[in-house]
Amino acid sequence: MKIGVFICHCGSNIAATVDVKKVAETAGRMAEVVYATDAMYACSEPGQQAIEEAVKKYALSGVVVASCSPRMHEATFRRTVERAGLNRYMFEMANIREHVSWIGRDQGPNTVKAIELVRMAVEKLRLNRALIPRKLPATRRALVIGGGVAGIQASLDCAEAGLEVVLVEREPSIGGKMSKLDKTFPTVDCSSCILGPRMVDVAQHERITLYAYSEIESVSGYVGNFEVVIRKKAAYVDWDKCTGCGLCIEKCPSKKNFDRFNEGLGSAAAINIPFPQAIPKKAVIRAEDCRQFQGKKCGICAKFCPTGAINHEQQDELVTIQVGAIVAATGYDLADWTVYGEYGAGRYADVITSLQYERMLSASGPFGGHIKRPSNGEEPKSVVFIQCVASRDPSIGRPYCSGFCCMYTAKQAIMTRDHIPDSQSYVFYMDIRSPGKGYDEFTRRAQEEYGAQYVRGRVSQVYPRGNKLVVRGADTLLGSQVEVEADLVVLAVGGEGSREAAGLAEKLRISYDSFGFFLEGHPKLKPVETNTAGVFLAGSCQGLKDIPFSVSQGSAAAAKTLALLSRDMLESDPQTAQVDIKRCIGCGKCIQVCPFQAIREADLRGQSKAEVLEAVCQGCGLCNATCPQGAIQLSHFTDNQVLAEVEALLCP
Amino acid sequence: MAVQEELKKIILGLLPQVDCVIGWGPGPDLLCASPYFMRRPEEVDNFLAGPMATQNTALYLPEYKGKKVALVVKGCDSRSVAQLLAEKLIAREEVRIIGFPCAGVADMGKIAARLAPHGEPGEAEKAVYGEKELRITMAGRELVLPLAEIKADKCLRCAHPNAVFSDHFAGEKAAGNDDEFKDLAALETMSLEDRFSFWEKEMSRCVRCYACRNACPLCVCRDHCVASSRDPHWLTQADGVSDKLLFQVTHALHLAGRCTGCGECQRACPAGIPVLLLKRALSRAVEGLFGHSAGLDPETRPPLLTFQVEERTIKEKAW
Repeated sequence: MKIGVFICHCGSNIAATVDVKKVAETAGRMAEVVYATDAMYACSEPGQQAIEEAVKKYALSGVVVASCSPRMHEATFRRTVERAGLNRYMFEMANIREHVSWIGRDQGPNTVKAIELVRMAVEKLRLNRALIPRKLPATRRALVIGGGVAGIQASLDCAEAGLEVVLVEREPSIGGKMSKLDKTFPTVDCSSCILGPRMVDVAQHERITLYAYSEIESVSGYVGNFEVVIRKKAAYVDWDKCTGCGLCIEKCPSKKNFDRFNEGLGSAAAINIPFPQAIPKKAVIRAEDCRQFQGKKCGICAKFCPTGAINHEQQDELVTIQVGAIVAATGYDLADWTVYGEYGAGRYADVITSLQYERMLSASGPFGGHIKRPSNGEEPKSVVFIQCVASRDPSIGRPYCSGFCCMYTAKQAIMTRDHIPDSQSYVFYMDIRSPGKGYDEFTRRAQEEYGAQYVRGRVSQVYPRGNKLVVRGADTLLGSQVEVEADLVVLAVGGEGSREAAGLAEKLRISYDSFGFFLEGHPKLKPVETNTAGVFLAGSCQGLKDIPFSVSQGSAAAAKTLALLSRDMLESDPQTAQVDIKRCIGCGKCIQVCPFQAIREADLRGQSKAEVLEAVCQGCGLCNATCPQGAIQLSHFTDNQVLAEVEALLCP
Repeated sequence: MAVQEELKKIILGLLPQVDCVIGWGPGPDLLCASPYFMRRPEEVDNFLAGPMATQNTALYLPEYKGKKVALVVKGCDSRSVAQLLAEKLIAREEVRIIGFPCAGVADMGKIAARLAPHGEPGEAEKAVYGEKELRITMAGRELVLPLAEIKADKCLRCAHPNAVFSDHFAGEKAAGNDDEFKDLAALETMSLEDRFSFWEKEMSRCVRCYACRNACPLCVCRDHCVASSRDPHWLTQADGVSDKLLFQVTHALHLAGRCTGCGECQRACPAGIPVLLLKRALSRAVEGLFGHSAGLDPETRPPLLTFQVEERTIKEKAW
């Protein structure tokens, strides 16, 4: 083997604290290395050209580049060596930037470590073999999970571009959190007026199949060829017959149930359509609220339904679909605000969440768009908003800023004055975060035109006095304690990943963080991709964001989906597990540990053997580490290659 | 012994249904039995069970895969069978398990030490294992060794003297003891340096014969053992203490959560290295972390042979 080694300066990023000349010189004396040099920027066009020329001039059969993280440029250099005529897996990268120059200032030890890392890469490369990706056909259909504004946008964009789209929504109607909002910032236009037409577009689009009140049961397969089982939950109403007339809701005798759509303000009938613009506008019976299901004699809805759509015997239905790509757009849920005992959340009727306030403001909400104190129905004259509830508070394990609360609080303060002109709003805040187009102007308008009083400081306590609430807190700008008598307290509650996000992430095989947010492929360069090929992210499921950003990300995820499925054939990554059938004894330990169900038992002339589904295998290596006889090896990371690296480090 | 006779009856009954019954028979000397493979009724006469039946009969099972075998098992042997079944290394329908209450086996090392002033174990002219003692006639005189004093250490802490599962059982079930891992205490009071020197000293006697591996009922890799595999070339053939220790540590790690503590590795070691201690330390760790003891239930998956995003007992993400 003839190996060429290229040591990158990365400007001064590496060269300032690593003696790159010495590293190149030492590398030149390593086994099978016939050419070693240093380069100012190996990734630049002249840098890559120099590599290509060296491959030809010295008839190199493998290349090592010592530069930055492979996460950054491995793909770049693989293409470089491929252009030079080598197999792209005859390339190794030593990370002497993130692992060396950026973490140590001392040139002596840095240079020694850089040499060690290069030696490891050379020793591994000596055992590399050419790997050929396999071609796989792709199903030109996309699955979008979650029918909030991000999922709606992704669905419409994909469908417009000609893809078949299956949209799955767990609630009876699409629309997500946006459909619960009254107005949107910074333009104060009506939320359902701008969302409604998009929802109708989804319903009417010939290439979009909508499964509302449905959940993802299981996901199998791999990029281009996922098989997804959808559970259509029993609505106990035949949706083909239901016209959405609402007579059943009117006649239902069980009316005092928790109203999910209205966040528990007001009550709902056991058979219900969540809101007037619902898509699909079909009724759903909640079994836990329905008298018929509690063994009482009822069936009134069935008696009155003009189309005979009620079916109390209906069962969940499983539907299996094939898709090529999946967009997760499962949104967020409010974080638990009841942990703040000092705010009286959950104890005092007049302490409500911002989302409940939205329902109060909404003309189609339970109060018909009138702001009322839940305790006595009176119009509040003094409204206190408390910001950063369950945001930016490490003491309850919520260190992050939810991002949208500053803006919606300003909007709600404006709406309060609009609804009740003689009212006064107070906003307790930590910092005002409004970096968006027209956003800062909006928060100023709330203060200057609408007279909202902003108090910089946290609230220590909310307690009742007479039929009012006393909000006591600090004003850190004045350096004093303040007390405000309030009729209504609105908590600007932050968000966290949707409660079912972790379960879905397991099914999709994507990572998620401790707040239930899905992990993007790269925080900057792959914001809508995941590390599982063919699964993309849109909206707040990836991290909290407001409507414009959710819509942008919905479109971005659609673009990624379209780019992926614009090809007829997909290439599989050949860095997968391989079974040596002579060694395999068929014990199946690899099958048990595989997180991706990528290994199955196969029969070979009467003997049981492990078989790797290459397209499903993600190359994690768990099977490799588990197999006692070493019958499974991971291509490009064989035990021998890893051992060669260890030995290069320990016994140079 | 009544149990031995009852076992013979069971074996005779099973012989027509299976290819072979594995138990114990006459050994190299009067003190110790050998593994015994019975195929014909007349061979059953020589069957032995008792303190001399030290070997783990489960060792041979993977070799018999595809054939029907009946196995006479002590409690410890049955745990090996259960573990082999849990790992799908043998098939349940191919094995018949015959259990009996085990009163513990003799430690040949302890017997040899007691006999040393008088001669070698092979020179015994007569040996009778009684209920409480072993009577040996050697050079014309009778020596009486109380069983309690020559019992193997593993039997003194044995929690499962009866087969943990069986198709046939001879005799009345015996009571077990609590295993408190007291054997690890001495080593754990040492400093890390002292402990390492202890192992360096012990391993210096190792001759890399791999008797420990060959005697282990759960070491099933055979030709592909890490010790001898050329590709991947995991271990060197160098004869240094660290190479020997590396093999033992690898062996112990491969058995983490799988080792049932039958002690055959240590019994087989010709150099008397206490290799079981390494496995015992890992067994206790697995028990503490996963609440799992190997070989108690053929249906349970060993914790290290499963994938879970979050282990119940390891809190990686606290929310």
